[in-house]
Amino acid sequence: MGSLSWRQFKAILRKDIVMELRTREMLTSMGLYAILTMVVYQIALVEAGEGLDVRLVMPGLIWVAFIFMSMLGLNRSFVHEKDQGCLDALLLAPIDRPVIFLAKFAGNLLFLLVVEALTLPVFAFLFLQGRAGFGGPLWMVALVLVGASIGISGIGTLLATISVNTTGKDIMLAVLFVPLQYPLLRAAVGATFAAVIGGPDATASFWNWMGWIAGFDIIMVLAAFGLYEFVIEA
Amino acid sequence: MKRGYLAEVMLVLGAVLTTAAFLMTFFWAPPSVYPDGRVDFAQKIFYFHVPVAEASFLVFFFTAFYGVRFLMTKRKEFDVKARIATEVTLFFVLLTMATGILWTRVEWNVWWQWEPRLTTYFIMTLLVIGYFVLRNSVEDEERRATYAAAFGILAFIDAPISFFITRVVQSTHPVVFKSGGLEPPMLVTFIVGQIGMLMLGYAFYQLRLKEEELKERLEALKIGLGG
Amino acid sequence: MPEPVDQPAVEVRDLTRAFGVRKALDGVSFSVPEGAFLSVFGPNGAGKTTLLKVLTTLVAPSSGSARVCGLDVVEGAVELRSRIGLISHNPLLYPDLTAEENLLFFAEMYGVERPEERVRELLEAVELDHRRLDTTRTFSRGMLQRLSIARALLHRPDVLFLDEPYSGLDPHAMDILDSLVASIRQHHTFVMVSHDLEKGLELCTHALILAQGRVVLFEKREDIDERAFRATYRSVVGMGVS
Repeated sequence: MGSLSWRQFKAILRKDIVMELRTREMLTSMGLYAILTMVVYQIALVEAGEGLDVRLVMPGLIWVAFIFMSMLGLNRSFVHEKDQGCLDALLLAPIDRPVIFLAKFAGNLLFLLVVEALTLPVFAFLFLQGRAGFGGPLWMVALVLVGASIGISGIGTLLATISVNTTGKDIMLAVLFVPLQYPLLRAAVGATFAAVIGGPDATASFWNWMGWIAGFDIIMVLAAFGLYEFVIEA
Repeated sequence: MKRGYLAEVMLVLGAVLTTAAFLMTFFWAPPSVYPDGRVDFAQKIFYFHVPVAEASFLVFFFTAFYGVRFLMTKRKEFDVKARIATEVTLFFVLLTMATGILWTRVEWNVWWQWEPRLTTYFIMTLLVIGYFVLRNSVEDEERRATYAAAFGILAFIDAPISFFITRVVQSTHPVVFKSGGLEPPMLVTFIVGQIGMLMLGYAFYQLRLKEEELKERLEALKIGLGG
Repeated sequence: MPEPVDQPAVEVRDLTRAFGVRKALDGVSFSVPEGAFLSVFGPNGAGKTTLLKVLTTLVAPSSGSARVCGLDVVEGAVELRSRIGLISHNPLLYPDLTAEENLLFFAEMYGVERPEERVRELLEAVELDHRRLDTTRTFSRGMLQRLSIARALLHRPDVLFLDEPYSGLDPHAMDILDSLVASIRQHHTFVMVSHDLEKGLELCTHALILAQGRVVLFEKREDIDERAFRATYRSVVGMGVS
């Protein structure tokens, strides 16, 4: 059974990647959304002028963009499963339900990380040039991205499975998703801030926040994993 | 019918105890004083605020508890119980928010402060509202119950994490009842209020449940006549 | 017509499916032998879909039992899933994958051995070989239905479930579906849920009428008095929409 599950996991993930490369639905909509958000940020910050240290607000701005961007992708990832009843076909197959969760989770995480990795440099290019830049090492930023994206995709995969079956899918996902992600976002902003400011104190604070992120990921993704079977069969 | 009787007794007792706590707050419990000797009259709202807040969290536990029971058994009665527990939670959470806001207005001169406990309760309010928004947007009864159970469990796990993470940032929330430093009349007043509030919570829950059970029986009768 | 053997392929005993006081299925019992073709009729909300979902292991019975291929739909669910197939009015295919990719994907889901070979074989059987590299978004309704039959047969199931397979098909596509069903008729047991009384009666060896979650009528094809059958059907549908 183990080897069949592995085949199924790979097949679902591969299918999602093939479809995404073919349609580029998620990547373009998420990327465009991120770029548009930056335009809005420029407007939002314009009156603050040169006196503003962008590094103070940047971590928050990044995660605002990413959290809303992630919801676009999460919604898409289940809409095409519902389109022609494919989800039923999937459930009819001799597949352990957690395999579906893991495969969709992995796909969502992958797409989210790709878009984050593409948009973050653009963000830095547009807002941080000529300023102090990153104080801490870049791997710190990368670590926050991975850590927080795990939590976002894990809970997001469960909630998107729910919201795709509700009336008003998009707003439903936001209503459920944002309050649940509060602790993760708080920690992600804290850790990103520490990474951007740099220095020995910031490093200690960084690891403290990363501890929160890791704890949240473990608890909440496990909970989502455990609940998934019930939700997808409902 | 015995349980319904108990609910009504609890309702009366709860009402008596919370009223008693209210009177004790103003006529018996000594006022708390600032370090400079001024009397802190606003502190008295905590005899109400804290019991309500604790009751809300306790009732929310039953949302998750019955959520788990529902997922294990798929029996509708557990879904009804989880939903009613969440209704009572919403009531208490809103009361907590309202009393908290009144206090920040008097003490800090602002209506709202992004302060750890208020923030946590704000998030919890959103989660509980989200629970009902979710219920309203799923048509199939059983699917609705399953989704609500899953979300209720997640929300119950999430709320304490929110609470602790906001406390990492230095809290400006007053430590109202310092351990050991509480004078007996204050403690007794508080405990009376707390017990009363829990009884009220229990009574609200049971009375709502009774109502739902009646509806269910009516439904069964209708189906019986129709078939 | 295949010779029905004695062992039941589908056996349902006192099956009830309820949530609260509402019963989607209420004490349903019947059984059909291997090689049979069972047509299930009934108005909307009669419990046809629920029955199909129970038999295909998608929902569990509240009480009573159902066995397909001798396997309990709850305890034997995992094994049973690899022995049944579903052809629905919904194609159950990914529009952005090609015909071949779709079949290969589902072959992986079922752990089919030598998937490429099996997929090619089936594409030929449903005459879609020439379109195997096109995404199914470009397919006509009839082509989609043929491909969805190929998908349902990938893992060589013993029992095939048909959920309104004829709805939305033009006459030509219907003919193709008919001949496909006829060609696999020998080796499979069929359970079809349908609104189409003519089609259902034409194909079936057994007929079942459900109304309000209960069995109104269950008969072998040769015992059916067509006039009485139609009258019963019309009376449960109400206004005789059939």
